Amino acid sequence: MEVRPNQTVDDSSIHQRHVPAAASKQPVAAPNTVDSTSVSQRLQKELMSLMMSGGDLGVSAFPEAESIFTWVGTIEGGKGTMYEGLSYKLSLRFPLDYPFKPPQVKFETMCFHPNVDQFGNICLDILQDKWSSAYDCRTILLSIQSLLGEPNPESPLNSYAAALWGNKEVDYRKMVHKQYYGGEIIES
Amino acid sequence: MEESTSLVCSLGILEKLNDNSIQEIIKSYGGFCTTTESLLNGAGDLSVGPEFVLHVHSLCKHGLQSLVCDHFLLSLEQAFERIGVTNFWRHFDSYSKVGVVQKNNSSIYDDDVQLVLCKALEEMSLEKQYQEKCLFMLVHALQLHKESMFEGKQNADSERAHLFAKYQLMVSSVLMASLPLHFPEILHRYFKGKLEELSRIMDGDLEGKNEFQDKDNMDLDEKGKHRTGEMDIDESYNHGKFSEKNKLVKHIGKVVRDLRSLGFTSMTENAYASAIFSLLKAKVHNLAGEDYRNSVLESIKGWIKVVPLQFLNALLAYLGDSIGYDTPSSGLKSPLASHLSTCSSEIDTPSEGLIRWQLRLEYFAYETLQDLRIAKLFEIIVDYPESSPAIEDLKQCLEYTGQHSKLVESFISALKYRLLTAGASTNDILHQYVSTIKALRTIDPTGVFLEAVGEPIRDYLRGRKDTIKCIVTMLTDGTGGNPNGSANTGDSLLEELNRDEENQEIAGIDDDFNSDDKQAWINAACWEPDPVEADPLKGSRNRRKVDILGMIVSIIGSKDQLVNEYRVMLAEKLLNKSDYDIDSEIRTLELLKIHFGESSMQKCEIMLNDLIDSKRTNTNIKLTAAKQSQTGAELGEDAVSLDILDATIISSNFWPPMQIWHLWHVLEAQGASRHHSMWFPEFQDEALIVPEPVDKLFSDYAKRFNEIKTPRKLLWKKNLGTVKLELQFEDRTTLFTVAPLHAAIIMQFQEQKSWTSKNLAAAVGLPEDVLNRRINFWISKGILSESVGTDSNDHIYTLVEGMVDSSKNGGNSGSCEELLVGDDEGESTVASVEDQIRNEMTVYEKFILGMLTNFGSMAADRIHNTLKMFCVADPPYDKSLQQLQSFLSGLVSEEKLELRDGMYFLKK
Repeated sequence: MEVRPNQTVDDSSIHQRHVPAAASKQPVAAPNTVDSTSVSQRLQKELMSLMMSGGDLGVSAFPEAESIFTWVGTIEGGKGTMYEGLSYKLSLRFPLDYPFKPPQVKFETMCFHPNVDQFGNICLDILQDKWSSAYDCRTILLSIQSLLGEPNPESPLNSYAAALWGNKEVDYRKMVHKQYYGGEIIES
Repeated sequence: MEESTSLVCSLGILEKLNDNSIQEIIKSYGGFCTTTESLLNGAGDLSVGPEFVLHVHSLCKHGLQSLVCDHFLLSLEQAFERIGVTNFWRHFDSYSKVGVVQKNNSSIYDDDVQLVLCKALEEMSLEKQYQEKCLFMLVHALQLHKESMFEGKQNADSERAHLFAKYQLMVSSVLMASLPLHFPEILHRYFKGKLEELSRIMDGDLEGKNEFQDKDNMDLDEKGKHRTGEMDIDESYNHGKFSEKNKLVKHIGKVVRDLRSLGFTSMTENAYASAIFSLLKAKVHNLAGEDYRNSVLESIKGWIKVVPLQFLNALLAYLGDSIGYDTPSSGLKSPLASHLSTCSSEIDTPSEGLIRWQLRLEYFAYETLQDLRIAKLFEIIVDYPESSPAIEDLKQCLEYTGQHSKLVESFISALKYRLLTAGASTNDILHQYVSTIKALRTIDPTGVFLEAVGEPIRDYLRGRKDTIKCIVTMLTDGTGGNPNGSANTGDSLLEELNRDEENQEIAGIDDDFNSDDKQAWINAACWEPDPVEADPLKGSRNRRKVDILGMIVSIIGSKDQLVNEYRVMLAEKLLNKSDYDIDSEIRTLELLKIHFGESSMQKCEIMLNDLIDSKRTNTNIKLTAAKQSQTGAELGEDAVSLDILDATIISSNFWPPMQIWHLWHVLEAQGASRHHSMWFPEFQDEALIVPEPVDKLFSDYAKRFNEIKTPRKLLWKKNLGTVKLELQFEDRTTLFTVAPLHAAIIMQFQEQKSWTSKNLAAAVGLPEDVLNRRINFWISKGILSESVGTDSNDHIYTLVEGMVDSSKNGGNSGSCEELLVGDDEGESTVASVEDQIRNEMTVYEKFILGMLTNFGSMAADRIHNTLKMFCVADPPYDKSLQQLQSFLSGLVSEEKLELRDGMYFLKK
């Protein structure tokens, strides 16, 4: 996976811009022995702040079932993008040593996007090597939301999408909708 | 049986008859008929007796004995019907309308009734005696015949008894057959009249002679001994006190005996029993009445012993021997009563019959009193501590009758009708609830019925908004009303509960001390099953201790809510204090700690500690200020001295959220306001602009605070607190104690006599509409006047200098006046619990919207569980599913959610 250059311009980009700096401050040997109560406390806090502030931004997430380590996320496609009016479901799995390790985030809804593969895996730097414990659920979701509108065709997981992006806007939009509504139909 | 054999016999004889004997029979029969006729119809003429005997004899000789008997009885019956019965009933004809006549008019007939009844009975018994005499003649004749036939006396007695029984039966059946409907009523009237007479005599005796009570009881026993014959009774009664009564009883006894001899046994008993019961009922009603402050049970029991039992005793004794035969036929007595008649030989105890009567009467009295008290239970409980004797009575009654369920039903319906209505204030309902708990605890220590009765009250109270507030006020404040009330003279409910608790605990300790084997055995022996009505889920009586506080808390649901409400109330109280005197609050808190535990009262304790600290810090700061001014003396003349400022420093994390427009001299430690701004985005504590010198004073104070308490800093809540003002006019000086806001407004008029509302609002830092509202205070005091300015939206306020308007303000004419001006517009310093709940609910709303965004649709219980699991932040989710559901339906009606097939969706 490559590091994507940060070129997003919307509100959420504020967080992304600081990614390299924050990541570099990340201690190399993160203490792995974090007790799960403090982790769930942190997640609880994140949930609270997400609940109190989210919604208006078009991102949301909530713990699924009993465990606070597995969340379901929802992202509305940004205004003026190909994804406007669509709402994507994600799954977020937080590791036991969160926030020292990033959560695993996947699209659950079919998403036609250069940086998303057919299984929903996302190629996003802050979810891999640029992760910082200063991020939280809300910033992750906002980053993914802005990624939808501004993909990085340099490191495509879906080369067809990358090929269409920027060249054949009408076809691209058609594919986005086809996958969103068609679900299982995957264009090779 | 006998008849049929004699019939067969005579048929046999018939065949052997010859003309001669037929002639003789016809002649004798003719003679027999005429003599019978003349015997029965001739007014008391017994001269035909010997002839009659002769005829009977000759007829019997021919085996026509049964014919003789039958004919004679038939004639007797006809004669009785013709003369006796019609005459007898004719006496009562004038009373045939008695039943219809109104009860209160009927008393005038009573004396008449007595006379007529006596007269009728006398005539009747004369008639009967005569007929009996005739019958005896027949018996005698038959006997003579038998003696001549068999030369023996066998069967004679049974023959006689048989005939007399037949006669008796005939008499009563004839009477019964022609019984007028009003006769029982007449009997009842008669006995009632007599009993009342007796009761009057006895009451006269009783008056002022309580010591005779025991004597009467002794007499009763004594009388019991002498019930074998009327002679004895006469002797034992012959001391003067009883002579009148004795005469009366004897008179009644005679009437009863006459009535019995006519076959009215059961009707008579019915009559005097019903008379006794109605008299007893009247007596109970009379004694019990509307007075609940005295126990009436004992006096009722005493009265039963004195009046009706004496009467019965005398009556039974007078009737003496006859009762032995008659009791079994009595339809009135209980089945057990039939075993009774043999007891006349017992001499040491009052007769069983009498005891049975006593039990019956007492049960009736208990039941009557119980019904009376149950019907009035609501009133009784209203004046509970005073009415405890009535409760005690009721308890005893219920122990006898066991009709607790009646109590529950009637009381619940009374509650619903009279208490649980919109008109009753919550305070009243709560007080009644507490009284109910206390009263029913007396009646039923197991609390089973209390449970049933308390439920509707609790349900109702849960629906009222001010319940929690009222409970807290009631618990903590002796005056039971206004929380600012300084006259805290009465004991609060809490203190009372505490004393209660201590008592119960002492009792409990005693139990523990004695818990050896013997005690255990005794306890086991004392075990009683729970009442049938008990709910098996609620545990047995041994485990149950009626806990008033617990029952009150159960109205609210959780003690946390109660504690929270108390905190709000306490905060308000403390913020309104200017003298740091919190002794009574500390005491209340200690009491609450006993009940709710240290941990739940922790925040309140910190609040109190804040006040204690404030006092110390305040003194400290003033001391240093005084020192500095002595040494440095750099304070300018115009600066206001720190002495006039008293600060209350609070750690706001532990205080309930404050509302906006009320802060002044209350300070807040640094770093505490995050909490508020999170839940109260509209929080604006800096809005009020205080006058320059005061502001300087504030910053000076804050600086000194910082010096003492580094690194802590003060944040002023400028619109909380109170300000004492002295307004000097040309002709007068007026003192006010007002809210900071009012002070800030009036201060502006020091420099400038007239302000437009727009400018004034800017100067004070208030929104214009708030200012216009708040300035009314000064207008109403006659200090300012209002006029419409050039712009119609702009008002002009002008200071009123002279005393022109003061006359219309009544009491304002005095030169000095101190007014504590509280929350004239119903706003309170501290956010009320309802506001807090509303704010909690907005958190839940965001959570619900959040989870629905991600899950699409959810059922109410899943939302409930999810909230329980994940909404554990500052106000933890503590609502019930029902509360959530009503909240959800609120969101549905706000069109934020929609509900389909029991699932909630986000409204698109």
